[in-house]
Amino acid sequence: MLNIRDLERRWLKYKIKSYAPYLGAVFTILLVSLIAFYNSLSSTVANEEINLPLTENSSEIKANNTETVTILEPSMDFVQSFQTTIPETQIATAPAPQRALPPQQSIPVPKVLNIPSSTSIKAPPPAISPLSGDKSLSLNRNESKLDIESVERRFKETSNPNLGLFIARYHYDHGNYSEAYNFSLKTNSMNSKIDESWIIFAKSLVKLGRVEQAKKTLHLYISESNSESARSLLDSIEQGTFK
Amino acid sequence: MENSLFSKPRDLFLDVVNPRDYVQIDSVSHMYQSLKNSVQKPLKMILLFGKPGTGKSMLLHKLHHDLSKHQKVLMFDIPIVDEDDFLRVLAQRIFGHSPREVMTLTRFLEIAEAVSYPDVPIVLLDEAQLYSSSLMEKIRLISDARAIKFVITLHKTDKEDVIAKEHFQTRIWESIELQNASAEELKVYIQKKLLKANCFDVANMFNDKNMKLITSLTKGNYRDTNKLLFSLFSLYYWYEENHPTLIKYNALKSKWIEMAAIHTGLIRA
Repeated sequence: MLNIRDLERRWLKYKIKSYAPYLGAVFTILLVSLIAFYNSLSSTVANEEINLPLTENSSEIKANNTETVTILEPSMDFVQSFQTTIPETQIATAPAPQRALPPQQSIPVPKVLNIPSSTSIKAPPPAISPLSGDKSLSLNRNESKLDIESVERRFKETSNPNLGLFIARYHYDHGNYSEAYNFSLKTNSMNSKIDESWIIFAKSLVKLGRVEQAKKTLHLYISESNSESARSLLDSIEQGTFK
Repeated sequence: MENSLFSKPRDLFLDVVNPRDYVQIDSVSHMYQSLKNSVQKPLKMILLFGKPGTGKSMLLHKLHHDLSKHQKVLMFDIPIVDEDDFLRVLAQRIFGHSPREVMTLTRFLEIAEAVSYPDVPIVLLDEAQLYSSSLMEKIRLISDARAIKFVITLHKTDKEDVIAKEHFQTRIWESIELQNASAEELKVYIQKKLLKANCFDVANMFNDKNMKLITSLTKGNYRDTNKLLFSLFSLYYWYEENHPTLIKYNALKSKWIEMAAIHTGLIRA
C-alpha cells in the first residue's frame, strides 16, 4: 500500500536537495557581487575623502597663504600651530616682493640657512645648492637641531615645498615620524606632485601604525601619478617586507 | 475501484517472467533470432549473458516456450544445487529414467547413451552463477559427451566472468550479450505492452519528456522499468480514487514519476 503523504514529503525533500547546489551557486554569486559592489562604493567614498582636501588646499594656498587650512585630516596640534603662526611671521619678516613671486622662485634659502645659530656648524657645506633650472633644491642634511629649526622657520616664512620636503625627510630619518608626517602633508598640500614627499608621508603613516591609510593614500597617488617608487613601496607594505 | 483506468496498466507491469508477455523490440528480436539459430547449430553450449534486468530470463522462457513444441526442452529457472538431485531430475525428465541407486555422472551418461532422440535434448539453465564449480564441471562433461545441449544465462559481473572463463571458455561456441534498452526502445516496450492489453489512453500519456525521465531513472533496465511503472500506476490509481482532478490525461506528471522512483528505491530521498 502506498503512503502518498510520506511519498510527497520525501519527493519535496528530494527536490530541495537536488536544487540545493544551484541555489548555493546563485547565493554565492549574489554575495560576491554584493561584496564587490560594496568595495567599489567604499573605495569611491575614500577617494573623495582623500582627494578633495588636497586639491582644495593647494588651490587655496596658492591663492592666499594666510588662509587657515582646516581640511587637513590629521589635525594635529602641530598643524594648527603652524598655520596660525604664518601670518605673524609673514608680516614681520617677509618682504612684499618675495610674497608676490611664486614660492619656488622667491626662496632666499641660502641666506637663512647660512645664519650660524650654532657654533657646531662652522663650515658646513652649502646647505642648499644654487637653484637649478628645474627649480629643485639640493639640500644637505644638517644634524643640528638648531639648524633644522632655522629651516623650519624659513619654511614657515616662504612656504617652499622643497624646504618642507627637506624637513620631512630630516624628521623621518631621525625617527620623528609624526613630524615627518606633518611636514610631508604640508608639502603635499603645497605641491602634490613631489614623489618623495608622498613616499615619506606614506612611510610615516606606516611607522605611526596607520597602515591602511598609507595603502589607501598610495593607491590614490599611484592612480594619479603612476609613480613606480610609490608602487614599489605599496608592494613592500602589502607583502609585509617594509620595515 | 471498479472501471479504473490505471488498474490494468498497473498489473501489466508486475515483475513476473511470462513468455506470453514477451514484447517484440527490434534489438531483442534480433538477439532472440540469433539465439534460436544458435540452438539449431551443433553446438555444445550457448551462453546468454548481460546485466541483471536486461531480459535474459525472459528470452530463456520465450525460447523454452517456442522450442518445447518441437523438441525435448527442459527449463531450470530455479537452480538445483545438489549434484545428485540435478542429475536425477535430468535423467527422469529428459530420458524418463528414475534410478533408485545413487546417480553418478557415469551412470547418467550410460542412461543418456541408452536413449536416443532425433535432436539432442536442450536444457535451459537460468542463473547459472548459482551452480557450484563441481556441478558446472559435470555439466561441461555432459555437454562434451553430446548427451545434452545447454543454454545457460549468467549475470555479467567480474565474478561470473571468471566462472565463464574457467568452465566454458573452450566449450561455448556461441555467446550472446544483452544490453539495456535505449529511450526509444523503452518507449516501444512500454507502449507495445500497453497496446497489447488495449490500454490506449494510458499509452498515449507517455511523451518524449516522460520517456527521457524514465530512461534516466531506470537506465534502460527492463526490470527497473517494470517496477517503476507498477508504482507509477499504483499512484495514479490512488489519485484517481482520491483526487481525480489532479490527473492530466495528456501527459504523465514528472512529479509522480519521481515519487514512484522514490518508492521503488531508484531515487534515494
